[in-house]
Amino acid sequence: MEFSTSEQPGAVVVHCRGRLNMVAAPRLKELLSSTVESGGQRVVVDLTGTDFVDSSGLGALVGGLKRCRQAGGDLRIAGAGQQVLTVLSLTNLDRVLRPYADVAAAVDGW
Amino acid sequence: MREQQHWQALRDLHVLDTPPEERFDRVVRLARKLFDVPMVGVNLVAEDRQWTKAEVGFSSRELSLEESFCRHTLVRSEAMVVPDARLDERFADNRLVTDEPGVRFYAGQPLRAPNGQRVGALCLLDHTPRELSPDELDLLRDLGSWVEKELAIDEELLRAQRVSRQLLPRRAPDAPGYDVAGLALPARELGGDFYDWYEARGGLQLVLADVMGKGLPAAIIGAGVRAVLRGASRFNLLPEAVIRAAASLEEDLEETGSFVTGFVARLDRGTGTVDYVDVGHGLGMVLQPDGGVRRLRAGGLPMGTLPGDVWESGRTVLAPGEALVMASDGLLDYFDTPADALRATQEANASAADSTELLDVLASLVRGSAPADDVTAVVVRREARP
Repeated sequence: MEFSTSEQPGAVVVHCRGRLNMVAAPRLKELLSSTVESGGQRVVVDLTGTDFVDSSGLGALVGGLKRCRQAGGDLRIAGAGQQVLTVLSLTNLDRVLRPYADVAAAVDGW
Repeated sequence: MREQQHWQALRDLHVLDTPPEERFDRVVRLARKLFDVPMVGVNLVAEDRQWTKAEVGFSSRELSLEESFCRHTLVRSEAMVVPDARLDERFADNRLVTDEPGVRFYAGQPLRAPNGQRVGALCLLDHTPRELSPDELDLLRDLGSWVEKELAIDEELLRAQRVSRQLLPRRAPDAPGYDVAGLALPARELGGDFYDWYEARGGLQLVLADVMGKGLPAAIIGAGVRAVLRGASRFNLLPEAVIRAAASLEEDLEETGSFVTGFVARLDRGTGTVDYVDVGHGLGMVLQPDGGVRRLRAGGLPMGTLPGDVWESGRTVLAPGEALVMASDGLLDYFDTPADALRATQEANASAADSTELLDVLASLVRGSAPADDVTAVVVRREARP
């Protein structure tokens, strides 16, 4: 799994490429924490390049969401594929981890 | 008696006749370099033979006890060093000395099982006579401790696995007119999934839970979730029991960065009424005899998602002939789509004579492929009226 970040007006975008599983999840969690610490309270996690998320991956996203909210911000998900959307819907996590079609839609109006 | 304890300690390690493992192999490789000897082994002394778990330079992994050097190390608490086997009357006639590989030097560090019983030795062998300096003896002892730790890990994991299985219900609940069964297939020795059933306020409670992650860490959290939910369910109805349990678990889940999905159902056996809470699980459903499916969704989040979260309960009535099925999402991994998983479950339900058979059919489907995630399920079938 590879991560990179980019700046958008009003939000920091974390791009994920690969499988977001038990191996990658701790690194994403770490990255989201440091993003929030360095002032990025509004975070978009771009999952365009991620075709698989397991429960540890969800845990990292939920952990990131909590950090953002504690800092007064929020976390949104962009470009999630079918498997990811299914998992988000089964767990009802789409209620709090709002999926957006792409990064542009996620930052729109933020 | 002493011997009996020795054999039992060795058996409890569950290491005899297991395949080579890198965690032992790396110790013998390292020892060969450090001591500059051609042969190093981790040997275990069994009732009828010496068996080698890890080696470099050995020609075989089994030896008779008559030929075993390590058997003599075993009776000592400290390392045994034989500077020249040809000059030692215990070994001068040993085939390994007189014939191939021509052992002259032997040093063995006894290896202890966690209960203190000596079960084998880490040994160094050379074709030429030599001695070990006090520093080298210290080093050998350290390497021996390392091997002992590796031997113990396995045993503790197995014990943890046994305990974890003992936490699953051992017998069907007292529910005349209903047929209840559970299934748990951990992807590893231990998993974070569990199922449970017990008497709760106002009915029989059935639980399926899936703790984030895998292995021992998930199993530890799972045991806590199980206990807290049991406690909260004794005197509380749904969804109150779940809300209280989640509040009690909040700190633990926060601290460990973990979360739990699950499905909690409470069955009034008299009427078939099922109150349920969907803890971000989404895989609770009722299979109808006509092939229809009622998905039991109540929109709740996993525990550990948001602080102070609350849950609502839903209600359905399990009619005669219907089956309540709760399954972990690990089941979905074995099918291309959730719809395929549902279809397989419906087919199993239609063909199976009882709940146990239904779960056997699902288990056989899952066992055909490599286990990716824990698979857990509970089925409650209400008998059709005669």
